[in-house]
Amino acid sequence: MKKSLRLGAAVALAATASLTLASCGFGGGDSGGDSAGGKTTLDLLVPSYSDNTEQLWNDVIDGFEAENTDIDVKLEVQSWDNLESVVTTKIQGGEAPDIYNGGPFAGFAADGLLYAAEEVVSPETFSDFQDSFIKNAEVDGTAYALPLIASARALFVNNALLQQAGVNEAPTNWDELLGAATKVSALGGGVAGYGMPLGSEEAQAEAAVWLWGGGGSFGDAEAITVDDPSNLPGAEQIKKMIDAGATQADPGSTDRSPLMDIFIQGKIGMQVGLPPTVGQIEENNPDLDYQIVPIPTKDGSPFTLGVMDQLMAFNNDDGAKQEAITKFFDYYYSADVYVPWVQTEGFLPVTKSGAEALKGEEALAPFLEVLPDAQFYPSTNPKWQATDGAFKSLFGQIQSKPAQDVLTEIQAQVDAS
Amino acid sequence: MRALPWIAPALILIFGVVLFPAGVMFYNSTRKISLSGLDQGSVGFDNYVEVFTFPYFWPIFIRTIVWVVVVVAFTVVISLGLAQILNKAFPGRRIVRLAVIIPWAASVVMTTMVVYYGLEPYFGIINKFLVDVGLVATPEGYGWTKNPTTAFAWSIVVAIFVSLPFTTYTILAGLATVPNDTLEAARMDGAGPARTYFTVVLPQLRGALSVAVLINIINVFNSLPILRVMTGSIPGYDADTIMTMIFKYIQNQHKVDVASALSVVAFLIVIVIVAVYVKVVKPTREI
Repeated sequence: MKKSLRLGAAVALAATASLTLASCGFGGGDSGGDSAGGKTTLDLLVPSYSDNTEQLWNDVIDGFEAENTDIDVKLEVQSWDNLESVVTTKIQGGEAPDIYNGGPFAGFAADGLLYAAEEVVSPETFSDFQDSFIKNAEVDGTAYALPLIASARALFVNNALLQQAGVNEAPTNWDELLGAATKVSALGGGVAGYGMPLGSEEAQAEAAVWLWGGGGSFGDAEAITVDDPSNLPGAEQIKKMIDAGATQADPGSTDRSPLMDIFIQGKIGMQVGLPPTVGQIEENNPDLDYQIVPIPTKDGSPFTLGVMDQLMAFNNDDGAKQEAITKFFDYYYSADVYVPWVQTEGFLPVTKSGAEALKGEEALAPFLEVLPDAQFYPSTNPKWQATDGAFKSLFGQIQSKPAQDVLTEIQAQVDAS
Repeated sequence: MRALPWIAPALILIFGVVLFPAGVMFYNSTRKISLSGLDQGSVGFDNYVEVFTFPYFWPIFIRTIVWVVVVVAFTVVISLGLAQILNKAFPGRRIVRLAVIIPWAASVVMTTMVVYYGLEPYFGIINKFLVDVGLVATPEGYGWTKNPTTAFAWSIVVAIFVSLPFTTYTILAGLATVPNDTLEAARMDGAGPARTYFTVVLPQLRGALSVAVLINIINVFNSLPILRVMTGSIPGYDADTIMTMIFKYIQNQHKVDVASALSVVAFLIVIVIVAVYVKVVKPTREI
């Protein structure tokens, strides 16, 4: 009897310890909804793009609340790493935020959780969005998200290193890129020719740069086609770059942000970057001698990976909230509020009025230039979220596994979701 | 019934933080939960089928066992030595004893981050050191945390490091209970230091040791932060244990249902390990 009690105690101890992880899934949170005093409360959940993000949103909210005293906006800022888990937990707990700023949204739309875009903005605001962006937010012909910001990618080139290696022209196609990167890598001293971040942070982006640059695609709104012959040339080229020693060591597990820091320190010849990278270089190593050129592709044809983040409104079955959300969006997208926001964050605007206002910006010029050739992730496909996750956790294996196997494995994980 | 007021807080606690979450976890593991977290009805044991048919499940399972056994074994052996040293009177003993607590007092994530950044190529101080003494040939260092095997090995080192204080102190407490006369008797009988240690001291540490081992097994099995930080950027599943796999199901694949199923499996594994341990070692048996 006594012995079994002790066994019981040990099991209980084991149970307590092992459940601490499992019980993490239950996030608390305030009850939200309509608060006292007839005020409508809007919960706003956003990721942090930079150290400025929270302040920028607070400025927007202060301005909005001053105009609409009957609406109370509650801001919650999360890191990108946590964002999706937080929103999933909230939805699971029946406390979806009213407004959410995130990437993939088709899964939410498929579950019938979102307002259609036109239900939560005025017709004037809706018609101000660039057509290509609003098209990218459509599921079955209805836009469920509002474009928030856009970014395009371009190749950042360290001029000093290329010159040292005897390369005079920035590469425009894969052969030139391989040649230039190999020469730069040969300089030695820890210098890498091409910075290739295939680690979990943003593997899908670097994968897209190569696979799409070779004529492939991840699929469309109906089907995800990662395991497709058109993706193979890009994947093989990645392996070629790695095998030739043209990249930094261990590309398969190198994350983008830390690698960009090393480019900024001047130890990497070329790396694909974003508009905010310009600001980072300005701040951390203003002496870096660099230029920004379009991303080299297989045949040199122009291409860039466009990424668009969206705002979406969750339908919490509350007419007063819908009205308040509409007011908030109309206020936010007015050029006076929106343009300073986008500009401070260093991204590209998605509204026609915003693009007009930022026309003269020199730092954004190389990116605005490639924007017409932008291709987007198939983010309206309900399986895109799973695809994104599969790329993040599996694509880096291309460093050591055959390209075809990796594509097959990603496709299998997507299909199983 | 008279006991109820006394045990009620404990019962509420056990129900609230053990039984209720366990129940919800098991319930979730039999449901289909959409990517965005909506419950879409029961699927029976399909989630368990997915867990066990995952081609990397058994390698991950074996790696988990290796992880637990290696970390606990090294921790206990090193702690035995440390405790022996700290049990001797020497000048400054109090300061050394305090120093041993530091890895315990510091946040695990923080400690791991320090090692992680130290191991980074280009700017990590450990890599820099290894390059400077000539052990690593490439000037930017070696990607210790970028390759599954080395990242896993370093994770074990960190896990041992952070497990040492608790284990050492438990053994130290055990050493304090070893009566001096048994040691004296051994000396009188002409036993050397090694003989005294292995036949007189060690058996008397049984109680302290078995508690330390049991708690370490559970802790190490359930440890997520160290592996999450050290192996987080590695693609594929070649450095995962069951805990990091649960995390990947939630974080990368948004499969709360499958993650719950794997959690239940993990929970059962721990119970089995503990039950076997209790049965074989009989930690509570008197000497």
